[in-house]
Amino acid sequence: MQQIGEVSDAQLVTSIARYSEVALAEVYRRHGGAVYGLARRVLNSPTEAEDVTQEVFFRLWNQPDRFDPSRGSLRSFLLAQSHGRAVDAVRSLNSRRLREVKDARRTATADYDMEHQVWDLALADQVATALGELPDEERRAIELAYYQGHTYVEVAELLGQPEGTVKGRIRNGMRRMRALLVEAGVQGVDA
Amino acid sequence: MITHEEANELLASFALDAVEAHEHAQIEAHLAECPRCRAELDAFRDVAAAMGNSVEPLPEGLWETIASRLPERLDAEPPPMPRLVAEERSDGSPTPILGRRATRGPLAVMGAVAVAAAAVAAVLGIGLVQADHQVSQDQALARGGAAGTVVAALTTPGHQVVNLESAHHVRLAQFVIANGRGYVISSRLPALSSDHTYQLWGLIGDRPISLGLLGRSPQQATPFTVASTAAPSRLSVTIEPASGSVVPSGAVVASGTV
Repeated sequence: MQQIGEVSDAQLVTSIARYSEVALAEVYRRHGGAVYGLARRVLNSPTEAEDVTQEVFFRLWNQPDRFDPSRGSLRSFLLAQSHGRAVDAVRSLNSRRLREVKDARRTATADYDMEHQVWDLALADQVATALGELPDEERRAIELAYYQGHTYVEVAELLGQPEGTVKGRIRNGMRRMRALLVEAGVQGVDA
Repeated sequence: MITHEEANELLASFALDAVEAHEHAQIEAHLAECPRCRAELDAFRDVAAAMGNSVEPLPEGLWETIASRLPERLDAEPPPMPRLVAEERSDGSPTPILGRRATRGPLAVMGAVAVAAAAVAAVLGIGLVQADHQVSQDQALARGGAAGTVVAALTTPGHQVVNLESAHHVRLAQFVIANGRGYVISSRLPALSSDHTYQLWGLIGDRPISLGLLGRSPQQATPFTVASTAAPSRLSVTIEPASGSVVPSGAVVASGTV
């Protein structure tokens, strides 16, 4: 009999559509740390990142059909969900205040296997390398947008540059990133 | 409406969730019709996901919190859909219900709506015929460019977006209302059999006013009219016989506050 750990992500999502909490728990085990990690990085608040993580998994439970395996990996899908919700939160006034609050309440208990840890670390290394190869102005625009939740219009204001310029730099930088990651053998982010 | 070039220029920012709110809706509308941009967006999203792939140890107890709040339905058959008005239709047949996958839990009843429904049937009958006539005209017009119609409404000053959700807060449809005209932005309502239709109701005070038939599988830009009535406080969708009903006779499958 197939073990749950051997089931593909797509099969797990199919099981979630049939109300399998076990399948949702396995998706959480595989990808929860990434969902939480990205939300925490954008929000700089463990408490708010927990809220985002909950939202992402509730949404997967309620709307599993929103994941389309033909358009990318489940990890990629969940990270996009996490980022979108984190950015929504960071743009709200309350959240901006909360970002200043330090919350040290956090205990690590991830059930996360070594193979995937190594894979994630390798990917993080490749991403850091690729970002380092971008022209400074492209890297800065992308980092302000993605990691700090600013719109390109806000990035333009922050950098004192025309909106069109920033829009173009983000696009060129993302295209360059893609080429660099493909060159490095990263074809997706499926763990 | 946004051009292909304009949308394409913003795709990288869109993948980073870094476009302005008004642009977001326009790009989504364009994506619905442009496979080339969808493919390019997917590629950008993979890059974004790689950049955001910083796994952290999960906080203790977070999974337990999530699991404890999931709706209970693992092994149970979904409960029968509540009736809105009558237990049986006039022909004695049971009121149609949605399939299991679509309902995912008990559905809401319109409540006070049902009480007042019978009393205003005659008035509503006239309103329904007029509204549906208008719907037919508009549906013909809308076939030319669904996304354009929706974007035009979304960029009209003072427009309202209404999310319609199931009883368990699962979003099933999104509408936009601008200048007394409304349109379906998106719908996840499952297709019905050919002898049934979704019907939209606006709640004015305690009274459900028919705003029109949405068809058996509501499509983007399906229009409805709200101008001839006072502003509804709430929109609800019921399942009705294909010819529509003068008062709601099926269960409310989705509703949302205006």
